[in-house]
Amino acid sequence: MKTVSVIKPLLLAIALLGMAPAVSAAQETAGAEAANPDAKCVKCHSRGLKKKLEDGETMSLKIDVDMFQTSVHQVIGCTGCHRDVAKGKHPSREPIASARAYSLKHNQTCSQCHAAKFEDYERSIHATLVASGSDKAPLCSDCHSSHAIQPRLAYEPVNGEPCSGCHDDINQAYENSVHGTAHRDGNVIRGAHVKAPACADCHKAHDVSAVASRDYLVSTCMDCHEVAKLAHEQWLPNAPMHMKSVGCAACHAPESPLRVNLQLYDLLADAPVGAGDEYTAFREQLEAIDGDGLGGMDLWRLIRLTERVGMDTSVELRGRLEVASGMDAHRLADSAQATRSCESCHDGESEAFRNVTVSITGPDGLKQRFNADSAVLSSIFSIDSISGFYAPGGTRIKLLDYLLVLAVLGGLAIPVAHSMLGRIIQKQSKKANQK
Amino acid sequence: MNTGYWDDTMTNPDSTRDRKDLQEHRVYLHPVPVRIWHWVNALGFVLLMLTGLQIRYVDLFRLIPFETAVQLHNWIGFAVTANWFLWFFYYVASDKVTNYHPDLDARSFFKRYFDQAMYYGHGIFVGGKRPHEVQPYDKFNPMQKLTYQFLMMITVPITFFTGLMMWNVEYFGGLIDLVGGIRVVNTVHVIMFIMFTFFIFVHAYMGMLGPKKSSHYKEMFTGWEEPHD
Repeated sequence: MKTVSVIKPLLLAIALLGMAPAVSAAQETAGAEAANPDAKCVKCHSRGLKKKLEDGETMSLKIDVDMFQTSVHQVIGCTGCHRDVAKGKHPSREPIASARAYSLKHNQTCSQCHAAKFEDYERSIHATLVASGSDKAPLCSDCHSSHAIQPRLAYEPVNGEPCSGCHDDINQAYENSVHGTAHRDGNVIRGAHVKAPACADCHKAHDVSAVASRDYLVSTCMDCHEVAKLAHEQWLPNAPMHMKSVGCAACHAPESPLRVNLQLYDLLADAPVGAGDEYTAFREQLEAIDGDGLGGMDLWRLIRLTERVGMDTSVELRGRLEVASGMDAHRLADSAQATRSCESCHDGESEAFRNVTVSITGPDGLKQRFNADSAVLSSIFSIDSISGFYAPGGTRIKLLDYLLVLAVLGGLAIPVAHSMLGRIIQKQSKKANQK
Repeated sequence: MNTGYWDDTMTNPDSTRDRKDLQEHRVYLHPVPVRIWHWVNALGFVLLMLTGLQIRYVDLFRLIPFETAVQLHNWIGFAVTANWFLWFFYYVASDKVTNYHPDLDARSFFKRYFDQAMYYGHGIFVGGKRPHEVQPYDKFNPMQKLTYQFLMMITVPITFFTGLMMWNVEYFGGLIDLVGGIRVVNTVHVIMFIMFTFFIFVHAYMGMLGPKKSSHYKEMFTGWEEPHD
């Protein structure tokens, strides 16, 4: 019995001695994790972990640790955002519908620290598109990435990042524009230092808006080009009216095709006709005719629709000459190359008035356009339906041309007819006298 | 002395010319301010119509650049408007305003209007008597009177006013909205222009219906009625 009692402690001692290195390692790891809580996460997520998603796709769970180490979020660590993990509920077993669904779920996470920016984002065209079900509209992580989040200054889109990820054609146009080249050349235009705008300077960083969705895009340009109003007044007759009804890019992107957009505007609400139920009749009428293009009479009926459906408001069509697409709006040239020829618009054959659309505001906040026949601009009905948009010469009413021809012919016919009448009467009188 | 068509105030008994006019029963129809107004107006309207045509029909002809046409149209428009005030104040201040007084006896007026039309349609070709005797205080026949009343009191002011509104769309924006928008303003302006176009042809032709083709034209330069039968 005594022998047994000696062997047991001896075996225990040997076992403990054998475990010593392992215990030492465990203690070191615990120490390291205490010093760096992310180490535990990194241990798995630096490897090629993958998760099968419900949509059949596979999502990589691997984190580029080096990138994360350089990100601004390195200081808050993994659990700064992944708080559900911190509660000891690692979500590995939870099914994920899709990568997009996962990003959507975690989009709110950003608001925990960046509430103000997130509020801005929620007002943006991006958030509106997300809310309307778009699976392409960007979430926070689409612009900022998930784990390689960089300081604000890193988002100065010298190379169009992050906007070019989705708006590559627009970014190409921007890079070749007077703004883009000046930006690339160190904010220098014609030897002078300027602050050339990048994407967010016009569109803002988080409450991103399509500039054209605002009532008067001119105000965006005026934020920097304060003297433009004065400069235009020096040579352009009715400069304020021109600047209100002609988009800046229509002249300052001289290579871009143009169009006239007639925005349906609710005068009582003092807002464009939008996606609300009260405007269903307008949408239905526009959609019913759009295939063939709206004619002069159609527009006249459209603005009279409030009377027919008993709406207690009135609407009007607000015309504006603008470039044909968002991409064209970014092809801005040096002001020396801007269109200055009045004839480019005030000509009955002008290309500027060949393309006409009627727009209402869609549910996503963007303009929903319907094609119109370009003849609406010279229709007699336009006097009432497009009463506020007129370019002398360019959108002249054809019926008045015919009246003028009649007046000239009548003015010439009366002397001719009267002279002939005189000859006939004098001839008859002469004959009568001879008899 | 008042012969019915002779204005004593227009004569100078010491003037050889006036004595001659008195003998020939010539009438001083168009005082200097009226003649200045008329020819400035005529030149102004022709220039306004030409520049207006250039503004409206750039695609059909290009005599001058659009921008120049607009500037000229604006300046001439102001000059012609100022000239209208010369006409207006002259007649308001002068006893010759009777020339523009409406005839309150409509039946009589339209009978004389019809007589005048018949004269132009027949009598003028067969040496008929002029139904209206021209006098300094009643120089317009009923057709002229109605036409000039309409032109000078309605058409011309409307043209000026619509032109003024289009000259500064921003400043007159409220008024433009009130009358129905810039297209209404422009359409009215153009309709007035179309009427003037018709008028100017007929006016120029009827100016040749005097005793001689040049008679009425000479009258508008000299002020004195040319001899007639």
